[in-house]
Amino acid sequence: MRIVGPSLRWRVAMAFGLVSLVLTGALATVTWNLASGYMLRQREDSAVLQATVDVRLVEASLRAGSGGLRDLLAGLTTDSGSTVLLEREDGWLTSGRQVDPAALPRPLMELAEAGVPARQRVVVDGVLVIAVTLPVATDGSTYVELFPLPELDRTFRFLSAVLIAGVATSAVLAVTLGSWLGRRALRPLTELTAAASRVAGGDLGTRLPDTADPDLAPLTSSFNRTAGALEARVRRDIRFAGDVSHELRSPLTTMANAAAVLERRRDELGGTSRQALDLLTGEVDRFQRMVVDLLEISREDPDAADPVDLLDLGELVAAALAVRPGPAPAVERAAAPVLVRGDRRRLDRVVVNLLDNADRYGGGPVRVGVTRHAGRARVEVDDAGPGVPEHLREQVFERFTRGTRAGRRGDDGGTGLGLALVAQHVDRHGGTVHVCDRPGGGARFVVELPEAAP
Amino acid sequence: MGRGPALNTDRGAEAPTRLLLVEDDARIRQALRMALADEGCEVVEAPDGESALAALAGTPVDVVLLDLMLPGVGGLEVCRTLRARGNLPIIIVSARADHRDVIAGLEAGADDYVTKPLVAAVLAARIRALLRRRAPGTTGVATVVRAGDLEIRPDEQVVLRGGRPVHLTRTEFGVLLELASAGGRVVTREALLRRVWGYDYVADTRLLDVHVRRLRRKVEDDPDDPRCVLTVRGSGYKIGQTG
Repeated sequence: MRIVGPSLRWRVAMAFGLVSLVLTGALATVTWNLASGYMLRQREDSAVLQATVDVRLVEASLRAGSGGLRDLLAGLTTDSGSTVLLEREDGWLTSGRQVDPAALPRPLMELAEAGVPARQRVVVDGVLVIAVTLPVATDGSTYVELFPLPELDRTFRFLSAVLIAGVATSAVLAVTLGSWLGRRALRPLTELTAAASRVAGGDLGTRLPDTADPDLAPLTSSFNRTAGALEARVRRDIRFAGDVSHELRSPLTTMANAAAVLERRRDELGGTSRQALDLLTGEVDRFQRMVVDLLEISREDPDAADPVDLLDLGELVAAALAVRPGPAPAVERAAAPVLVRGDRRRLDRVVVNLLDNADRYGGGPVRVGVTRHAGRARVEVDDAGPGVPEHLREQVFERFTRGTRAGRRGDDGGTGLGLALVAQHVDRHGGTVHVCDRPGGGARFVVELPEAAP
Repeated sequence: MGRGPALNTDRGAEAPTRLLLVEDDARIRQALRMALADEGCEVVEAPDGESALAALAGTPVDVVLLDLMLPGVGGLEVCRTLRARGNLPIIIVSARADHRDVIAGLEAGADDYVTKPLVAAVLAARIRALLRRRAPGTTGVATVVRAGDLEIRPDEQVVLRGGRPVHLTRTEFGVLLELASAGGRVVTREALLRRVWGYDYVADTRLLDVHVRRLRRKVEDDPDDPRCVLTVRGSGYKIGQTG
């Protein structure tokens, strides 16, 4: 069973983010509690002090006679924005911002009426205030003073905003850092993946660069060892095929010439001998072509000394068609020369093999196109045969596959290497080859090569 | 019994073409001797380089067929020795088809290079083409042709450069004469291969390129900056008018 979750990198990033969130969150909470508690206490203490002073003034005023009480109260509340409530026999005397005594919390008022000094943070009419109640010593009436806290409120808002922003920022940074670290830590893996796919794609010389990192060195050396062994093995196989074909050249030369000597004297032979001779010469001929093809396909790395010419594909195709027996197919050529850079011999082989293939399996080529297509030079060889079924379209370019005729090698006379050689030569020139349906029936083999500037 | 067309030879029109076959594999020698005899050639056999050189001292031959992989003195060495001695036509018959082998063989002075496996008919066609271009007085160009400071006398197969004879193999001579006869017009590689080597169609033009290189070494002041035998990129060669 395989659960597809978020990638390793994202899991690392998320873990970083989460840890950062918890840590900075806790830190912010503690900071908030300490700072806000401290500031509130300071403010309450100063509020109580202020109220105590104010109530002394009120007591003094009451003792001196009630004439200046109202003015006094007004004076107490003028600058501070506070509210003073004084309970008289005839009800509440209010100064400053008008507040209904009923809006104050009941427990506080009960304490005040009982003559107990008390303080409490309350919100009155949407404003945070500290309410301080004190008994008035002269007549036992209740004194309540409300101190609004606009600065403190603003400070708290600012502090909380800063803390929240800090937590969020650090979480985002941690996720980014985690992601970056994850990518960095996984880079060797990414490189390994890329290298492995290059090897799978046929670039057997791919190696990882040596590293001094003790965590990575085993991985790197193990990969390089594996790739090296694979390369050696593949090269050995290829060389073996080449060596075998090479060794076959000498006996084949003898056989071919001995067969030619017999062929010249076929008139001297009886009917059965003649049939046998025909079989022999036919097969020796095919054997020769097969050995030549095998040698060509098992040639190792592109030879650095291989000639590279500027070639006109149209001329190449025309020249190849000119020496072919049988009816010539229609040729469609682009107006301007279609130029490529490459090895003339190999590209000629590509064209000839495609034409031979059309002869063998498609009833002969019916059209050859030399065009350019999106910056690529393009050769199309069309036949009007049965076409190549979808599931064989990759396979026909492999060695010794004969498409739908696989296993029926009786009469086609092919070597089974023609299209494989096409694919190899085209690949060596940085091009591609594929087969598709020809409009109107049959197969269309398409070779695309990088176009060269004239 | 069909016989191949009679081959022109340097030794006289009546005698069959005589070939020296230098090949270490006895079976190949035997098979090729029989098959080449059917093509109208007389084959002298030599199993290694030393005996080949020894055989040449006593027997005049028209063409040497030379394998590269020989015991003792290697094929390339034999080729160089023969070329140093003179103009004897040499065709390398080798199992090696790699580019550098072909180049090395041609650079050693061979006129042609064919790879095994091959049949005598193909070999005979090559020999015929080689002898055709080597037969004096058969070029059909009677007058003296000039190209720059070169004076080409087809009848005598002589090239004079500033009045002094230049020693060319006849393949090199053939290439130079074809180019000079075109009088500064471009001669395509295909045309040169057809006219000089007698090939109908050869995709492999290394043969020509190496011979042009060798020709330049003999007729150019600076072979890396040719003034006489000029390359026309992507097409062929031509003679520089000013020389």
